[in-house]
Order: sequence, then C-alpha cells, then structure tokens
Amino acid sequence: MDLKQALILIFAGIGGTLGFSLIFRMRKKLIVWSLLGAALTLGVYVLCLATMQHAFFQNLFPALAGALYAELTAKLTKSPATQYLACAIIPLVPGGGLYYTMYNFVTGDMDAFHTQLTQTARVAAGLAVGIMLISVLMHQLRRHSYRELAKETDG
Amino acid sequence: MSEPSYPAAQVLSLSMDIGKSMIRCGAEINRVEETVMRICHAYGMQQTDVFSIVSMIVGTTRDKQGEETTLSRRVYSYATNFMQLEKLNALSRRLCANPVDPASVRPELDAISRDPVKLHPTVCIGYLIAAAAFTVFFGGTWKDALASVPIAVILWLIGSLVKVRGMSKLFVTALSSATAGFLAISFVKLGLADHAGMIMIGNVMLVIPGLMLINSVREMLCGDLMSGILRLLESLILSLAIACGFAVPILIFSAGGISWI
Repeated sequence: MDLKQALILIFAGIGGTLGFSLIFRMRKKLIVWSLLGAALTLGVYVLCLATMQHAFFQNLFPALAGALYAELTAKLTKSPATQYLACAIIPLVPGGGLYYTMYNFVTGDMDAFHTQLTQTARVAAGLAVGIMLISVLMHQLRRHSYRELAKETDG
Repeated sequence: MSEPSYPAAQVLSLSMDIGKSMIRCGAEINRVEETVMRICHAYGMQQTDVFSIVSMIVGTTRDKQGEETTLSRRVYSYATNFMQLEKLNALSRRLCANPVDPASVRPELDAISRDPVKLHPTVCIGYLIAAAAFTVFFGGTWKDALASVPIAVILWLIGSLVKVRGMSKLFVTALSSATAGFLAISFVKLGLADHAGMIMIGNVMLVIPGLMLINSVREMLCGDLMSGILRLLESLILSLAIACGFAVPILIFSAGGISWI
C-alpha cells in the first residue's frame, strides 16, 4: 500500500466517523474528540496493514489504541467512553465483510461465503478482544466495581 | 442513615425506567445492570438483583424493612443516541450521589427519554457524509461518492418509515437495500458514477449492523452470554435481509448477462 492509498483510507475513515457521530447524535462539542480518536485508530490500522498478515492482529491493535483513547478521553471530558469508542472504531467495523458474507450466501457462492465468513469473524474477534482487554484493565483500576457491589449486597 | 427511606417499589421502578431508557439509546448491557444496581444501593436497598438482555430488564430489590419487589421492563426498539445516554448517565450519577425523592425525578427522566427515535435532520446530514466517505473508503471515486449522497437521503427517508409508521425493521431494511441497489446500478448505467459495487457498500455501511456485531462478541467475552447471543443473531438476520435486498436488483440487472458490479 502506498502513501496516497493510506491517506485516502485515513481521511475517508475520519469522514465516516464524522457522519456516524452525527447519526449517533453525539454532542456537537465532543465530535472533535471522536475525530481525533478515529485518526489514531486509522493510523494504527494503516501501520498494522503494512506490517501484519493476519486480520485478527490487523484489527486488535487499532482496537486497543481506540479503546484506550476512548477511556482516557472519557475521563478528560467526563462523559461515557462508549461514544468515543463506537465512533473511533466505526471505520474498522466489518460492515463490508458482513454484507459480502451474506451476499455470497444468498447467491449460493459457498467458497466465497466461507472466505468472507472467516475474514469477518477474524476482524470482529480482533476488535472485540482489543476492546475487552482495555475494559478489563480499566475495570481493575476502578476502586469500587459493581460486581463487588453485588457481592456486598448479597451480604 | 439520616436520609428518609423510600419504598422499594418506587426506587426500583425509577431505576429500571432509567435502565430501560439507557437500552433504548444504545447502552451496553453491563452498564444498564450496573446503573440499576447502583441507584438501588444509593437509596439504601439491602439487596438488588438485576438481569437484562437487549429486549428486557428484570430486577428484584429488598429494602431495609425486608420488603421485596420485583419489576420488569420490556424494551421494543433502540437506536443509538449518545446525547441522551450522556444525560441519563449524568442523572444516574447525580441520584447515586444524592438520592432525592424518586417522584421528583420523574419529570426530568420523562423529558430526557421522550421519543429517542425522533427524526432529526442532523441524522440525515450524518447519513450523507458517512455514505460519501465510506464509498471512498472502500475504493470508490469522487463521482461514486457524489452518487451515494442522494441514495443516503432516500435511505434516511425509508428508515424513517420504521420510526413513524412502526413498520417491521427487517422488511424496511430489505426494502432500503433493494432501493439503494437499484439506484446505484441506475446511476452507473446513466454514466453518472463508475462503480455500482462501491456505491452500494458505502450505503450498506449505514444500515449494516457492524457495530452491533462487535458489541455482541464483546458482550459474550465479558460474560453477558444471553445478550451477546441475541445481538449476534439480530445482526446476522439484519445483514441477511440487507443481502437479500441487494440481491434483487443485482440479479435483475445481471439477467441480461452484463455484470454491473
């Protein structure tokens, strides 16, 4: 992948994030934070595309970066991390993969169906594992988790 | 504690309505369960058990007198609305810090959660920006990006049917993708755009439940198996409907032996 392609990917992805920030009715003042998050995620993604082969790892590291960014921004702006996370990873979400998987299923092209299914599952697993690792980490850092609260109220 | 104690039913009812509103604007399940639990705890409830899936919340709480109450809430539709989620989050934090009379919070909660799926022009603008950007993202030209703008507006209008007329989400999804497919291929036939496939995939990103898929896997990894499975199933069925919708124009146009993709 050359530099021009990488830049197109990054800027088009940021455009997608801008669109989805509006669709998700994010507060106008916070949109700039989600765009920065998308820039970070996409930057890491482009680096991973250039250096790694497997779709799981190509998506794991951007998800780690995006989720960590979302948590830190949430602390900074005192608002839920979910919104920054959703907006930052939306360009990587395997919408295309999911569509092509089902499309090949409908048209009966089973070889392409299997390829797309595997690829989509890898992307989804990479993103989800990345997000989960960060949320487990943040959960440990929190002083009073709600599982503890549940135990406490259990008496 | 010096603060007055409120009956379990009143506290649980308020906290579960907040939880329901949170699901309706797209919160994750563990956040909803945590919120209900924390609010009940802040009001001095002795024990609270909450279970939630995307379409239902069930909760039982016991107050200091040992009185137990169980309530449930059914959630029919949800759409992501972060502005509302933020307000609900702020409200529940405030309640946890300062548990005021539940009845006095009602008007505020109603004001926040009134019509979360209301049509809003901001969403329409978001649709066209996202469609154009994703068309380029997946390799389309600037002409393709321009062509996907009117399709995005039409998708927004059709999507509004669900909210206004209460039509089946599955049917409307299939209908919108069939329409988008027809328009994309027509634009290419008329010479207004270069790649029908790129325009389609740019618009698919608006309706495909990709984020839902990620959230479902994430919920399953976090132990919310029920919710994760339901979300996974819903995202698969919705994307199947989208694929069926797009298959119609593609099959019709390729019947002449010419591939337009």
